[in-house]
Amino acid sequence: MNDLRVFFACGVTSFRALFGWINPYVFVPILVVYPIFQILFFVYLGRTAHVGSDTFFLIGNTFCGAAVAAMFGMGQSIGGERRFQTLPTLLASPANRLALYAGRAVPTVLTGFLVAVISFASGAAILGVHVSGTEAVALTLALLASCFTCAGLGLCIGSLGLRGRSVGLFADAISGGLLIISGANVPLGRLPGAVQTFASLMPLTHGIKAARAVASGAGLGSIGGLLGKELLIGCVYLAAGLALVVLFEHEGRRTGALDRF
Amino acid sequence: MTRVFVTGVRLQLLQLMRSGFDISAMLVWPIIFASIAFYLLDAKESPRLLFAASLGTAVMMMWAQVVVGAGGALDNQRVFGTLELLVGAPVPLVTLIAPIMIASGAFGVYGLVVTIVWGRLLFGIPITIVHPLAFAVSIPACIVAIGLLGLITAATFVLYRSAFALGVAMQYPVFIATGLLVPLSVLPAWVGPVSWLLAPTWGFRAIKAAALGGSPWPAIGMCAVVSVAYLAIALVCLAFFERLARSRASLRLA
Repeated sequence: MNDLRVFFACGVTSFRALFGWINPYVFVPILVVYPIFQILFFVYLGRTAHVGSDTFFLIGNTFCGAAVAAMFGMGQSIGGERRFQTLPTLLASPANRLALYAGRAVPTVLTGFLVAVISFASGAAILGVHVSGTEAVALTLALLASCFTCAGLGLCIGSLGLRGRSVGLFADAISGGLLIISGANVPLGRLPGAVQTFASLMPLTHGIKAARAVASGAGLGSIGGLLGKELLIGCVYLAAGLALVVLFEHEGRRTGALDRF
Repeated sequence: MTRVFVTGVRLQLLQLMRSGFDISAMLVWPIIFASIAFYLLDAKESPRLLFAASLGTAVMMMWAQVVVGAGGALDNQRVFGTLELLVGAPVPLVTLIAPIMIASGAFGVYGLVVTIVWGRLLFGIPITIVHPLAFAVSIPACIVAIGLLGLITAATFVLYRSAFALGVAMQYPVFIATGLLVPLSVLPAWVGPVSWLLAPTWGFRAIKAAALGGSPWPAIGMCAVVSVAYLAIALVCLAFFERLARSRASLRLA
């Protein structure tokens, strides 16, 4: 019961703090305006290069928007503790670490999903892209799977906040890398072979592929394999993130570096 | 005032060169945007087109650094509690904030170097500068124009306590509207006149014409014209928003 309380109390409090206590002046510019204009930029770039359809870039950048929300959110929910000097207090508590961090992951997954829904709906309305009800269900599943995977990677990034102070640096670089590596903006076939192999191990790649297959008319059943791969990758990142959190917490305690800023 | 301005530029550049976030952003993002452009436009098709894409990416980075970096710099001033001291100093506020913008724009030269070197090493894009003198003039003209456009936005940042977030949101709209990677011809017609008001349009045209051939001097002249206009607007905006921020006592709110 206590773990459940930690899960909700920590998750809600951390999420509110993430946006300056639910401040729309932070949420709207970064998580609404930015992704919509990112979609438009790449759609127009695609039209210029005569590569991909509007739907290709709409889906790719919607997923990237969700990734930014999930990775930065998860990363900063731990990194922010160091900035506000509450990390030692947090880690001195005997709370179950799985409940502590899972509580932070769930709101970021939901935020990423919400961001993606807003940006996809806005982008589709502006670009005149139509999605049927069945496609919407399949897209939702692909999106949730990708948000989960990104939260797993976000936990890995956030764990670095237990040892260093620039979590944003890694989240920024990785989210930027995903714009190209995940195939969001460049068809994977155009990338070098080594990058394609690397891409298959990264979040978003299979989720985006599944979403594009749905948009091309594939049924929900035919994307099960891709969604399974995306979820499996998410589980691996989540496990790695939890292991890193435990390792770095131990190292932080040993070296007395938890409140160093 | 000159001493304040020069010291401000030096301090801002020193801070940028010690900021892991800014340095990594300036190394990573030009490569990402340039690579996407190169892969989409197809490197074998037209080296000139790809070199233009490199230059467009570099100007994008200048704008991004000005609007995001400067927003972040002002946010930091709030967090460190020094924004009140800056505003309270007995020199015009513009001489304290303009250096942040100009230095941020100048830091974008990193992006120019990174994109050109990346394009050359990975995609074999030839680097040929047709008008070297005009190229050397066009870069500072572009930096100053973009920096002064940033000064107008900075006026709102003085009042707005989430300057960084606003800066982030202002990147892509300007990337689109100024025709840096996406030609204005594929955008709705009304975007054209909007682009004339934005410094990156003229900065990019100047640098591109100087590098690839054409007449860069009209665009360099337009950089100077818009710079003067931005400065005049920024002075009015800064005075207004400074007074508003003082009366609301919001300078300390982080």
